[in-house]
Amino acid sequence: MEVRDLVKDYPRVRAVAGVSFDIEEGEIFGLLGPNGAGKTTTIRMLLTLVQPTSGSIQIFGIDAVADPGRVRNLAGYVPQDVSVDGELTGWENMLMYAQLYDVPSQGRKTLIDEAMGYMGLSDRMNDMVNKYSGGMMRRLEIAQTLVNRPKMLYLDEPSIGLDPNARRVIWEHIEKLRQEFGTTILITTHDMNEADRLCNRIGIMDRGRLVAVGAPAQLKTELGGDIVTVTAQSADCLSKLRESGYSIMAGPANGHVDVVMQDGEKQIPRLMEMLHSCGVVVESVSVKKPTLDDVFLHFTGARIEQGDSFAKVKQTRRTFKRLS
Amino acid sequence: MNIGLRKYFRRTMTLAEFEIRKLLHDQTQVWIRVVQPALWLLVFGEAFSKLNVIPIGNYTYLQFLTPGVLAQSAMFVAIFYGINLVAERDAGLLNKLLSTPTPRSAIVVGKAFAAGLRGIVQAVAVFILALIIGVHISLNPLHLLGVLLFVIFLGMFFSSLSMCLASLLRTRERVMGVGQALMMPLFFASNAIYPSTILPGWLKAIVIVNPLSYVIDGMRGLLVTNDLSKLPVDLLVIVFTSVVMMALASWSLKRIIS
Repeated sequence: MEVRDLVKDYPRVRAVAGVSFDIEEGEIFGLLGPNGAGKTTTIRMLLTLVQPTSGSIQIFGIDAVADPGRVRNLAGYVPQDVSVDGELTGWENMLMYAQLYDVPSQGRKTLIDEAMGYMGLSDRMNDMVNKYSGGMMRRLEIAQTLVNRPKMLYLDEPSIGLDPNARRVIWEHIEKLRQEFGTTILITTHDMNEADRLCNRIGIMDRGRLVAVGAPAQLKTELGGDIVTVTAQSADCLSKLRESGYSIMAGPANGHVDVVMQDGEKQIPRLMEMLHSCGVVVESVSVKKPTLDDVFLHFTGARIEQGDSFAKVKQTRRTFKRLS
Repeated sequence: MNIGLRKYFRRTMTLAEFEIRKLLHDQTQVWIRVVQPALWLLVFGEAFSKLNVIPIGNYTYLQFLTPGVLAQSAMFVAIFYGINLVAERDAGLLNKLLSTPTPRSAIVVGKAFAAGLRGIVQAVAVFILALIIGVHISLNPLHLLGVLLFVIFLGMFFSSLSMCLASLLRTRERVMGVGQALMMPLFFASNAIYPSTILPGWLKAIVIVNPLSYVIDGMRGLLVTNDLSKLPVDLLVIVFTSVVMMALASWSLKRIIS
């Protein structure tokens, strides 16, 4: 899949502001971002549900804007909201979609039984869906897409609202899908664990833009080292750190300051010395390897003081340094 | 093209089939919806039979009223059909449906056809009720087939109108409100409970543009008077208007999402 300069304008907002990315065949690609970042709008454009304002989408060599019908035939979609009909049985929900995707009636029953068995729903096939649990509904939704054997599967927040156990089951199923059918999968999520665990590559979206793309491990490396969290009572801890040229990530929150540095363990003594000489009383220090959560904060600046972006904070700090 | 047409037809039928299956799973609403037409026949009909104030020629008032109530029961079900569409949009069902290779118009036609079939269930209930209370109506199978045709197109017209409203109004409450605001005026400004000849001129004008009048007129001919002279016109009007309305609903469908 090749997406270039995708833009979607709504009357009052620009939901997607020029997004470009590629997805390789057979990979799980994750769009990660806070609510309202434009993930769902992007998926809807890829699904041909919404016309892009500008930009191009090529899926398996087909132009999705010019030829939506063929793209739909290749796609399977599990929306964020529950999309199975509670007033029908699980089996009927399956049958309806099999018929809408023109699955030939010969062998259809076997196909549905298999898909439901595959998703672990065999014993509840003939129950009304409004008696299903949230996890079962999600599994039924994924089973529905299987009857079409989609080459491209879109999962919008697949584990939203599920308990940890159901979430783990869904993850296992998604991984199995890719392994067994080689399905290319695009998921959107705001759950870091999910992105880290499932995706080969992720793209971080913020306010309609794609701010970073890469494998989770690669993005963590790009962050520039370990995260050292300093807790201190003194109010000037942060400013002292800045003056000394340390790279501050997010905070300060409740007296914590996150500092990004290479080889955190080795650098701590020097850091302590510096703070001590400035008269800052340090209560505790901890070091951790960056998680996707930190990467996310780094790129979106979601928790940075006064809502400023990371870049802006960095710029302020540089200006401050020059003046002093 | 031939294959395309067959696929289109099959998808339409699929959508209709599952609407009906939903109805079969929960039949309570069928029975609830029979109450109102039953009241019209049993209370309103019986009372006005005694009064003899409505000029209807050589027939009893209940004979005159039965086709009107039959049409009304089918129409009242169909005019709120758009609410389902809003509910499906809210639930995410509609988005998924639109991501399948199903054309938008097939979704509209399928649901409209289901509303027509749904109307038949109501009409049959009213028909049986009318027979029970001894209303003299035609049992000619060909005539009854004609009545079924009218009921289906009536359901298709009003459900498409309702889907159109749903696409433009976008919320359940508004569709409900506008449906309520439309249904009684359309019922009263028709020939359902009195001949339109007794109405003042401006109301007669509404009767003429009200598709419900043509359906009732056609059904009255088939069930009561045996006067089939206006049947082709009546049928043509309702078929034509429902096709136009389905086209409008297909066109406006994209507005309900996004």
